[in-house]
Amino acid sequence: MENEQNSAPLGPVSLLDRLANACKIVALTGLVIITLVQAWQVFARYILNNSPGWTEPVSVFFMGMTVMMAAAVGVREGTHFSFSNILDAMPAGIQALVRRLLLALTFGVALLLAYWGMTLALDNWDVSMAGAPIPAGIRYVPFAIGASIMALFAAERLVARQKN
Amino acid sequence: MALAALFLVFALLLVLGAPVAIALIISTISAALVAGIPPIVVGQQAAADISNVGLLAIPLFVFAGELMLKGGISERIIALASALVGRFRGGLAQVSVVASTLFGGVSGSAIADISAVGGTMIPQMAQRGYDRDYAVNVTISAALVALLVPPSHNMILFSAAAGGGISITALFSAGIIPAFMLALAVMATAYILAVKRGYQAEGKVGARALLTTFVTALPALVLVLIIFVGIKAGIFTAIESASVAVVYAVLVTLIVYRSLSWNAFLDAAKGAAKTTGSVLFVIGAAGAFGWMMAYLQVPSHAVEAMQAIAHDKLTVLALMVLCLLVLGTFMDLAPLIIISTPIFLPVAKAYHIDPVHFGVVLILSAGIGLVTPPVGSVLFLGASIGKISVMEAVRGMWPFYLAALIVLALVMIFPQLSLWLPGLVA
Repeated sequence: MENEQNSAPLGPVSLLDRLANACKIVALTGLVIITLVQAWQVFARYILNNSPGWTEPVSVFFMGMTVMMAAAVGVREGTHFSFSNILDAMPAGIQALVRRLLLALTFGVALLLAYWGMTLALDNWDVSMAGAPIPAGIRYVPFAIGASIMALFAAERLVARQKN
Repeated sequence: MALAALFLVFALLLVLGAPVAIALIISTISAALVAGIPPIVVGQQAAADISNVGLLAIPLFVFAGELMLKGGISERIIALASALVGRFRGGLAQVSVVASTLFGGVSGSAIADISAVGGTMIPQMAQRGYDRDYAVNVTISAALVALLVPPSHNMILFSAAAGGGISITALFSAGIIPAFMLALAVMATAYILAVKRGYQAEGKVGARALLTTFVTALPALVLVLIIFVGIKAGIFTAIESASVAVVYAVLVTLIVYRSLSWNAFLDAAKGAAKTTGSVLFVIGAAGAFGWMMAYLQVPSHAVEAMQAIAHDKLTVLALMVLCLLVLGTFMDLAPLIIISTPIFLPVAKAYHIDPVHFGVVLILSAGIGLVTPPVGSVLFLGASIGKISVMEAVRGMWPFYLAALIVLALVMIFPQLSLWLPGLVA
């Protein structure tokens, strides 16, 4: 199993290039925030003698952001784990067809996840998280946003393949 | 019917080359539709797994490993390894194994290991007249040690896939003896081949030089102690220890070694975010898949199937190891751990196999797949660093496969090798 080797669609710097860059910045910022929040938990517990309850939900939210943003970019750059040996050995025509089908499936799954993420976020918005006065539905927000962007990137690659 | 939909759709999509996460989600949705379960449950389960608090340590340990890699810590570790074992026949190969083991102890990742140590050692060995296939084979085999030593994020992955009930400290300590056995086995194999191929030793290093290299590498090596002692003593949780590892890695590379630039920091964060996205997205999808397997009672069916063909625990363990070795040849480690744990762990428990022992056996068996064709990420990376084809690398690899399989057999047959240290530490 390896990461897919298809590179991002070529072309001038587009809106989607900027969106992908923004996703990368959000993902790595999320990682830095999780580090700082967890380090703060240790500092506050031992130095300030006060163990804050908000660190866990905040870390989990930013982990969701990092995962979903990076996963969306992963669809654009074709870096998700896959096993492509058999696909690579297929005749060029069938290969192109299967690749289009897989992108269409990825697009469909991403759309579904985005819709479910939004539904779950709205359904749980009035419930508070344990440890912090934050709506429980916020957990699903990264899921809804990340999956929407993932659908956009899958559609972009699908369109690029159709043109080719 | 739902069970057939689950596995057939998954297998079909996997064979067609679909991203694993997408294959997992579509197959789970198919099974849910057949079983009459509202498909939104699939999204709910996947989101719940991506937001699993227990997984927070993974991105942070990956981040710490990337910082070690980009921050130049490997050079200090290689200098120490060179002073320690460079004097033996095939000295650079021995240096490569020891450096991989020590670096594995700070990065916890085989890929980081082969990038950091292999990136330096393979070209150096080739320059000194070692055959390229030998240089690649030694280094990729040694990189497997990182899977077993703390802070291996594969151990955390196993603990999470097992439902979070298995102590991470116990897993960390359980991997240490098998890791040293694997390192020694690779060193012995490298030595025998070095004598056969006529490779020479490096110069002997004096006590003063050894001490200097040790003192230089010490700040990096202390990290593993901070993590291990910190968790064990209850000073911080595994998640907090991972954040401490990141902060410590930044401080050491920035202040002590002065080797971490702003760009290197950004590269490390980008690399960690990319790995996090790939691994945790699969975890989320596999969480939904695992939930569906539990709903369809796959683990209990697996136990019944095993009971029909095997009666003692060693045979059962050997059968599971065989499955993992085969699956590992074409599946990457993280998805394999996540998918196989919920199926195999209940079988292991039914046969009274200790879950910690089973975890070490599972990670080692599945991990060997990282250096086997047709798909092995560590093999591919090593061959590309060594500028040889995968087939060229594999041709001379069999003594190292044999060494790894002997260690695996010993770890499988003698649970004490995994369980003695956790018992001592507890």
